[in-house]
Amino acid sequence: MSYLSLENVTKQFGDVVVVDKFNLGIEKGEFVSFLGPSGCGKTTTLRMVAGFELPTSGRITLDGVDITDKAPNQRNVGMIFQAYALFPNMTVAQNIGFGLRIRKMNSTDVHARVDEMLSLVNLEKHANKYPYQLSGGQQQRVSLARALAIRPEVLLLDEPLSALDAKIRVSLRQEIRAIQRRLGITAIFVTHDQEEALSISDRIVVMNVGEMEQVGSPFEIYNFPKTQFVANFVGSLNNADAEVVDPANGILAMDGVHFKTAEEDFSSRKKGDKVKISVRPERFSFAVEPKKDNVIDCTIESITFLGAVVRIQIKIGNTSFNMDTFNNPFLELPAIGAKEQVMCSKEAVLVL
Amino acid sequence: MASKGLRKVVAMSDTSFDISVDQGEPDKKTRSLLRIGGRFWSWVWFILGAIYFLVPLFATLRHSLRMERDVLGFKAYERAFEDPSFLETFLLSNALAVATILCSTLLIVPTAYWIRLRLPQARRIAEFITLLPFVIPAIILVFGLIRTYSTHFTIPFTDIELFQPLTTTKFGTYALITAGYMVLAMPYMYRSVDTGMRVVDIRTLTEAAQSLGAGWFTIITQVILPNVRSALLSGALLTFAIVVGEVTLASFLGVDAFGPYLFLIGQHKAYEPAALSFVTFLMTWFAMGMIQFVTGGQGQATGAH
Repeated sequence: MSYLSLENVTKQFGDVVVVDKFNLGIEKGEFVSFLGPSGCGKTTTLRMVAGFELPTSGRITLDGVDITDKAPNQRNVGMIFQAYALFPNMTVAQNIGFGLRIRKMNSTDVHARVDEMLSLVNLEKHANKYPYQLSGGQQQRVSLARALAIRPEVLLLDEPLSALDAKIRVSLRQEIRAIQRRLGITAIFVTHDQEEALSISDRIVVMNVGEMEQVGSPFEIYNFPKTQFVANFVGSLNNADAEVVDPANGILAMDGVHFKTAEEDFSSRKKGDKVKISVRPERFSFAVEPKKDNVIDCTIESITFLGAVVRIQIKIGNTSFNMDTFNNPFLELPAIGAKEQVMCSKEAVLVL
Repeated sequence: MASKGLRKVVAMSDTSFDISVDQGEPDKKTRSLLRIGGRFWSWVWFILGAIYFLVPLFATLRHSLRMERDVLGFKAYERAFEDPSFLETFLLSNALAVATILCSTLLIVPTAYWIRLRLPQARRIAEFITLLPFVIPAIILVFGLIRTYSTHFTIPFTDIELFQPLTTTKFGTYALITAGYMVLAMPYMYRSVDTGMRVVDIRTLTEAAQSLGAGWFTIITQVILPNVRSALLSGALLTFAIVVGEVTLASFLGVDAFGPYLFLIGQHKAYEPAALSFVTFLMTWFAMGMIQFVTGGQGQATGAH
């Protein structure tokens, strides 16, 4: 049995089903992200684990104990909020020691634990400051220290980086991950930012309208999406309508242009079946080996410089595709309107 | 045939960037003039406002110092303070004000907190109820109180008496007038506390405290109350001012409070009421100063962002 387990957890607000028969097992020390658009039920699921919402049906167990109906203050769960939620009337040290004082720990031990936490988040010099005297990033680190001070069984992070600027977000997410690994604590991280989820997680749960779309490692989620939603939500994707031409050899046609796919169950399809194909922009490249699969004529439509990446819009048949290539200042980009040849491996052509 | 694709280049072509300047932006000198102009008008309005408030106060002070012909002195103050009824009524009103503030805090803080946290749909109803004292005069309230609480209380449909009429005992009357003052002070107290709670986002703070193991009592006493302290003190100050100067409830309930005393001497004496009014102003300012002192540096404005 998993360390934290959600079995058939459903949450309804009136007639609206926000989370529908959610099943998930999380192992001890695992870092799991709930990823999905606004309103997909990820925060509600997290709040049910925290005890702020009661499931309409289903069961939540933590380390073998049923915590479904336990009050939030009866569960040993640490929570980090998007808005930091530091107590404005308390200093950094008092904030961190709050949960320990509630547990009636003696003042010497509280002091020692607060010092330990301050050093963990590198805020030793700010112990006597009030929250309003700290930057957003520092406040969130205090929030992390406060949640960890009580030695929670699970750490819940509700979009903790959303209110921070881009650079702090990246450094703080690395810090959170490093601390989580060092302490070996089980963590659930809610985000709508795919890059955040991909970079920080052991596993990602992609959610959509209250249901789990796919659960897997970041590598699996990105490279082998099981549904159209996951493919579209995680990373960029080119989608096009196609028709099965030769199921046995994995050949299909789009606007008269033939593509080859390596999809496992493609042979079960029938000739003439209508399907949707998807190719990630970075899986295209300018053709250098003419005998490879999927070498395709195209026309350059536009070029967009995105910094590290250059996005080239190409037209194949009557359909526009995006192609991403790394920026290299010593390579000349093709002219707009030029006829070129691009290629992609048959594994890159997903049939969803 | 292989595509040319990305080709190596030997030299980078020059790229020029057009950095345009918005001609509509005022220059430094104009901005500085605008700033000075803005500051000038701020001062004008501030001075006009200050005159509006200070001139009557100065007139009251001046009048209170002119009890003796052609001499400025504190005779009116001496006379007012010599009257034993002054201290008696003043202390009673202060005690009633403190009782009202404590009871209002006990009633309004948990109510406003629960409405914000769990019953947001009841907010409009609560706001409507708290505004009723503005539309229902105090005279109606006091007659309602007298009519309801001047009879024996029995269990409905029986002759079993629950308690004596409240208006027949001193303690009962004080309880009744305190309840009446709570109603009169409700619009100020509720709004102050509710606004304070909105500023600090009590929902998130409550959840943070719960996740750290805190129960309701700890959350209210250690997290919510300290963070709405400034708002609570503002409401308390207004309550204090209302109670100390209130006449209608005290007169009709027969309570010898400071309001009726001030009203009474105002009808018979010329200088003492002015002296006492000025003292009341000073006390209010002292209370405001205390609020600033107590909440200075870390009021609720520093709440979670």
